[in-house]
Amino acid sequence: MGKKFLKFEYLLLFAVFTIATCGLVYELVAGTLASYLLGDSVKQFSFIIGVYLFAMGVGSYFAKFLTKNMLNTFVEIEILVGLIGGLSSVVLFLLFESVYSFQLILYLLVFITGCLVGLEIPLLMNILKDKVAFRDLVSNVFTFDYIGALLASILFPLVLVPKLGIMGTSLFFGMINISIAIVLCFSLKKELKNVYLLRFKAIGAFVTLVVVAFFSDSILSYTEGNLYGENIIYSNTTPYQRIVLTHNKSDYRLYLNNNLQFSSKDEYRYHEALVHPAMAMAKNTKNILVLGGGDGLAVREILKYPEVQKITLVDLDEGMTKLFKTNTILTGFNENALNNPKVQVLNQDAFVWAKSTQSKFDVVVIDFPDPSNYSLGKLYSLNFYNTIKSILAKDAVIVVQTTSPFFAPKSFWCINKTLAETFPQVDAYHAYVPSFGEWGFSIAINSFETTFNTVNRRAEKLRFYNYQFDQFNYFAKDMISNDVEINRLDNQILVRYFDEEWGKL
Amino acid sequence: MKSGENYKFSRRFFLKSAAAAVLITPFLQACKEKALSIIFRITGTNHVLGHRLRTKNFPKVSEQLKVKYLIVGGGISGLSAAREFSKRGETDFLLVELEKEVGGNSSNGENQYSKFPLGAHYLPLPNKSDTKLLQFLHEENIIQVYDSQGFPVFDEAQLTFAPSERLFYRNSWQEGLLPRIGNTPEDEAQMLRFFEQMEKFRLAKGADGKYLFDIPLVKSSIDGKTRVLDLITMAEWCNQQKFTSSLLLEYINYCCRDDFGLGIEFVSAWAGIHYFAGRKHDSTPNSADTVLTWPEGNARLAQHLKKYVKGKSLQSHLVYEITTENNGVEVKVFDALNNKSIQITAEKVMMACPQFVNQYLLPERKKLAQDFHYAPWLLATLVVTDLGDNGSYPLCWDNVIQGAKGLGYINDQQQSVQQVHAKKVITYYYSFSSDNCAKSRKELYYKNKEHWKKLVFDDLRLAHPDIESKTEEINVHLLGHGMISPVPGFIFGKAKAEAAKAIDNRIFFAHSDLAGISIFEEAFHQGIQAVNQILDASTLDT
Repeated sequence: MGKKFLKFEYLLLFAVFTIATCGLVYELVAGTLASYLLGDSVKQFSFIIGVYLFAMGVGSYFAKFLTKNMLNTFVEIEILVGLIGGLSSVVLFLLFESVYSFQLILYLLVFITGCLVGLEIPLLMNILKDKVAFRDLVSNVFTFDYIGALLASILFPLVLVPKLGIMGTSLFFGMINISIAIVLCFSLKKELKNVYLLRFKAIGAFVTLVVVAFFSDSILSYTEGNLYGENIIYSNTTPYQRIVLTHNKSDYRLYLNNNLQFSSKDEYRYHEALVHPAMAMAKNTKNILVLGGGDGLAVREILKYPEVQKITLVDLDEGMTKLFKTNTILTGFNENALNNPKVQVLNQDAFVWAKSTQSKFDVVVIDFPDPSNYSLGKLYSLNFYNTIKSILAKDAVIVVQTTSPFFAPKSFWCINKTLAETFPQVDAYHAYVPSFGEWGFSIAINSFETTFNTVNRRAEKLRFYNYQFDQFNYFAKDMISNDVEINRLDNQILVRYFDEEWGKL
Repeated sequence: MKSGENYKFSRRFFLKSAAAAVLITPFLQACKEKALSIIFRITGTNHVLGHRLRTKNFPKVSEQLKVKYLIVGGGISGLSAAREFSKRGETDFLLVELEKEVGGNSSNGENQYSKFPLGAHYLPLPNKSDTKLLQFLHEENIIQVYDSQGFPVFDEAQLTFAPSERLFYRNSWQEGLLPRIGNTPEDEAQMLRFFEQMEKFRLAKGADGKYLFDIPLVKSSIDGKTRVLDLITMAEWCNQQKFTSSLLLEYINYCCRDDFGLGIEFVSAWAGIHYFAGRKHDSTPNSADTVLTWPEGNARLAQHLKKYVKGKSLQSHLVYEITTENNGVEVKVFDALNNKSIQITAEKVMMACPQFVNQYLLPERKKLAQDFHYAPWLLATLVVTDLGDNGSYPLCWDNVIQGAKGLGYINDQQQSVQQVHAKKVITYYYSFSSDNCAKSRKELYYKNKEHWKKLVFDDLRLAHPDIESKTEEINVHLLGHGMISPVPGFIFGKAKAEAAKAIDNRIFFAHSDLAGISIFEEAFHQGIQAVNQILDASTLDT
């Protein structure tokens, strides 16, 4: 009898230890999620700890009303804590975008978890009070409770979040919580009533968590859909980027690595502004180069000039150009430009390709992603522009998308200054694209044979650009920054500017 | 492209995708985790052939050759001498080299993803007064033009690409090599004081108007007052100056090991200070710490110099006997490829090899060589699928891990303009810092590959927990005599001065170990200076 009782006591104490660990983990998960999603981590953590402790107090108070079937209740509570705590982060993730009162739900979940954990300790002490000396009981229960708390608070930042992530941590601890319940169901079968029902509940809850963990992938993509606020009609991850196409009413949007690439409603403004000034002022437009721009929308604009003989498009990502050659919605946007016989698509690294090509181009349109990291920063460096200069015809024109002069004036003018170091004539201009805001471009001429205001040719039926270049190159005071350095491979100052400026938003 | 509105959502999204990645990866890994075997190669200097000098059991001479000037050793000093001979119109010279390729410590390896250094891997921008070196860099188009103010404009693609340096400290990467996070005010104050003091040394000149610390070293002032610094160790000097911050000392120790192989407990204070004060950062405005580097390291510079020995060098040839005759020097050389010996008769011979070799070739050299200490080095080049970087600061050219045994690693693809690399190639550096280089050297050749593998992984794991499972290939390169180490009393000592003296106006000496520190600049000047000595002396003779 003595031995068996010892087992009983230690089993329950081990349960206390686990409850304490799991309880604190749920609390930390809630705190972390709240501070990530809502900001202001000091406030969020402070509130959550407060609510959690208060809820434990509430739970403890109500424990005195539970007098029947205490052991059964204990196991049931254990299952419930595991289920609610384990699912809490998933629920919070799912609801974040769609629920108006997110905070209410957050604190409700914290409160419920706290209450349940708070119920457990008094309940356990009541279960054990006739079997163990009170002095030992109190001391043991609290010892295990606090050790569990310590373990959780150390593991959480060092191991759990880095290895499992937030969602993984809460699901994992939910499972641990419930497995304790399962163990109790089996090993205390004589002390428990209705043991089969209890086992069924415990195993059912466990299976639920496993299933959720397995489908967390699609749950996340569902929340991703919510993030975009639009219906995702296509998504694909290539070796280089994540491509997502969304549809909402009459608007299609393409996102690359979650940055908006274009909106079908206003992309014509961007692409007309990108292509037509350069095409108009260039002396010749026979041989055109497009770098980046795998969506083919810039190529569509270039093809509006009949004298163009050849367009070479160099885009690293085959997944991207293939998509815009084959998907019917997308070929609708670029008017099947990438399948035009004049167009040659090369899926190569633009910098490496430019260093080796023998061709000379009349117009170069550069439409790279923004310089948000050191790899992309190389494509805006002095060395890159010198490389481009070496593949230009004598009077060539080059145009570069250069981020927003309003949001990122230093980045914008840094690229402009870098171009000015390489080319004899350089200017800048900007256009308003509603889905982006104020957007800008730098343009350079490789000689003095032509000017920015020259219009050698016009395309018909443009919706935005009117061939009045001097209406686009005026910059108000809030879009100018003079104090910038040249972007070189050995300083990559542009990436720092860009990070500083977009990081502020 | 365009970022528009969405940057502001990035934090939320980041969290979600991070959580997604974390949840998905275990499943993927479970499918992928096969027993990955790592391809392991060990290379190194040809010490087996070199050690035959101890027994001198070579075949009889079966061939004769005659040449005006013979250069023994194809490292930077020998190659630089060949360049100088050519520039001065002397074409009748021959260079012999023990290894399969010339280049010495400026050699490289290559795998399918990148070239990588097998020794020295960068050249700091030369001092403005180092006109000879600047001229060489201009010849090779490393300096493209001189601007209107007379400053050299270096080729952007040959300067280290940003970001250049990071340090793993307190579980995260930070920019630069000095710890910056969580330093005590005392640490900060000592760092400031240290760098102020180094700045003073950098600018200080002796009574003769020369810099106290200059490059090449022989240009330094002969003013005696700083020479006493050569008699104590860097650690002793730091202690005298009350530099006690462990962070600062670890940094200084790192710098000394990086340049001299040995740490502050073992190198002379003069040398330690020279590391910080020798470079004047005056050849270009605002580029204090910029250096020139290439995927293959200084092998690029050796490659430029190689053209001067085209058709004039014999590789895998080991000189084993030198005798001075009335009308010249007779040199016996073992041709390891054809297993035969040849005799080369030269008017003058330049020994552009280290003194631990010369002791076997020339009489009375054994005793001198005892004062020359060479720290062994180990380099490990790894091909990894992913570094598993924690992303706190992006991968840099130089990546140092605080508290590691080695000196960190170089990103060999830093100088590539490519956007993405299928595999990453990094080279890890380790110098054996102890008071007994000979013992370390024995260890280097005695320990097995598992030992070195463990050393490398244990160190890298501090910052990259799963590096071992991500590694596909390791190339370990052992350098028994990695570099001359300036222990106290060596730089201004007798042995070094004696070893540099020509013998009978027939045999001349050039090597960075005769300068006292092992850097490209010293070797480069050693070669030029020895050629001047030979040619100007022979002009006098005739």
